Amino acid sequence: MENVTIILVEDQREVLQAIAKDLEKFEELIRIEECESAAEAETVMKQIVDKGDYVAVIVSDHVMPNKSGVDFLIDLNNNPTFKRTRKILLTALATHQDTIQAINKANIDLYLEKPWKKEELVFAVSTMLTHYILDAGLDYTPYVSLLNSEILFTRLRNASDV
Amino acid sequence: MRTLRSLQSAKRLKLIIALVIPSIILILPTSVFPFDGITIIQQRVIALFFLAALFWVLEPIPIFATSVLLITLELLLLSDSGLTWLQHPTDASFGTMLSYKEIMATFASPVILLFLGGFFLAEAASKYRLDQNIAGLLLPKFGKNPKMVLLGLMSLSAVFSMFMSNTATTAMMLAIIIPLLKTFPANDKSKIAFILGIPFAANLGGLGTPIGTPPNAIALKFLSDAHLTFGKWMAFGVPIVLVMLVLCWLLMIAFFPSSAKEVNLSIKVDFLKTPKAKLVYLTFVITILLWLLDFAHGMNSYVVAMIPVCVFITTGVINKEDLKAISWDVLWLVSGGIALGLALEKTGLATLVIQSIPFDQFHPYTVFICCSLIGLIMANFMSHTATANLLLPLMATIGTSIVNMQQVGGSVYMVVATTFCISLGMSLPISSPPNALANATGLVQTKDMAKVGVLVGLIGWLLVLGMMTILYLIDFLS
Repeated sequence: MENVTIILVEDQREVLQAIAKDLEKFEELIRIEECESAAEAETVMKQIVDKGDYVAVIVSDHVMPNKSGVDFLIDLNNNPTFKRTRKILLTALATHQDTIQAINKANIDLYLEKPWKKEELVFAVSTMLTHYILDAGLDYTPYVSLLNSEILFTRLRNASDV
Repeated sequence: MRTLRSLQSAKRLKLIIALVIPSIILILPTSVFPFDGITIIQQRVIALFFLAALFWVLEPIPIFATSVLLITLELLLLSDSGLTWLQHPTDASFGTMLSYKEIMATFASPVILLFLGGFFLAEAASKYRLDQNIAGLLLPKFGKNPKMVLLGLMSLSAVFSMFMSNTATTAMMLAIIIPLLKTFPANDKSKIAFILGIPFAANLGGLGTPIGTPPNAIALKFLSDAHLTFGKWMAFGVPIVLVMLVLCWLLMIAFFPSSAKEVNLSIKVDFLKTPKAKLVYLTFVITILLWLLDFAHGMNSYVVAMIPVCVFITTGVINKEDLKAISWDVLWLVSGGIALGLALEKTGLATLVIQSIPFDQFHPYTVFICCSLIGLIMANFMSHTATANLLLPLMATIGTSIVNMQQVGGSVYMVVATTFCISLGMSLPISSPPNALANATGLVQTKDMAKVGVLVGLIGWLLVLGMMTILYLIDFLS
């Protein structure tokens, strides 16, 4: 079985830990990497890919020192290695212009507002994970307890599996 | 992460076991095998059979990958174009090699193309929402009583899965009812009936037609001499589906009664009316009619299957992208089974092994009962197609090479009964992909699935045995 990873990017340590705590249930089968900056996330992601493992979902803050979340996600969007990776922007302080950039240039999949609700975040990550696992052609069966079953059914409807 | 780590190390261990055991069989001297006059080629087939069995049971790699591995190893070890230094044709105990062309031809065997035709019909139907619209049109006819709605959902699942894959049918129907179930009271047991009824009906529906489920393809391969036509298959397959469907429905409403008075299921019906959509409807109807009326026009079901393929490709109903979405993995999984059967049969190993077992000492009916039961049990724990790949070549040989077996109809009856019993394996989430989907809803417990699944399996098994006896007495299949 493959190592599938979720990356969390957030410069405030307490917030980062709070996100990780909410996503605890995924840790049963998925690795969760906590990164305090865009640069750290980029290093971690390169290591993951170099080992042949998978970056499934990224949950990123926007306002961070040095490189902003949106800029980080734009770079990611232009990197073919991560073309299937699902991108969630989790922020309170994005300007109108930032949001336009996030949609047009970073092609983000979801925009979540801070403060977030736990169920909302878990639902978003599980939905994105479902899409990623099917897009990447991984066997979904070991992960079913973590996936969004409605998305799974809708997508499998069109596949003439055994 | 602990769960992941343990899953990963379990997988590694399984891979090692699945590689080591066949390797040991391969290097043993031929004299240790309890079969007189066994050849080196036959010994290699034994090793490959164990390799396939272990890989399909333990699943260290996907089951279709095992098929490709098997076919490649057959080409290397058994074929007349394999590795030179593994060939000793002058040695009398070497045995006869297989033709590499025959092994490769398993990828395009007629039954594979029959399934391709079925996949094209299913793909076009889902692309033009024919399946959903038919469901939306027919479901309201069953009324609002929860029991009748359940019967409606199960009947449609069974009918769809006769022509579409069991998994796609289950996924579609579950997608329809999940929003509905959210409106049910939290402790209403009938939710379980709805979630389980659909995959069970889809599994059962697979029995109904030759293209209903991949094990049927393997069966057809071994029945090619019996001239088992599409219509003939349906003539005994559909009655079994009907009886089992009603029994399964009764079990569901008995075990999981509904507290609700009324269920409101509304699905938007919007039949597409574009020229291409009409072409899809027409092709669907004509193909099925041609399959059923083969005695009138002379084209067999394999040839008919090429018609939807050709119509949809030439008119762009199925384009390049849709073509990539066809489940080639399923076709290759079946090819592997055909290649394994080919090796067992053409090297004479199947006959050698079966004849060395004293089947004559048992009543042929006992053998018949045991073989179908083995199929049912195995299919509960592993892929139905993989079970068929392993068992059906042996069943066909038992039927033909054991003289006594003619008393119960010989290989045709052995193969059909075992194939049906394989499709009845549905007591665990791992039994079949439709069961895994029901499990994915998180609304059913394994014990509920097992309770109904075991009953359906055993009742179905008895029904199949009874049906085969009747068919034999009226001499239907020869």
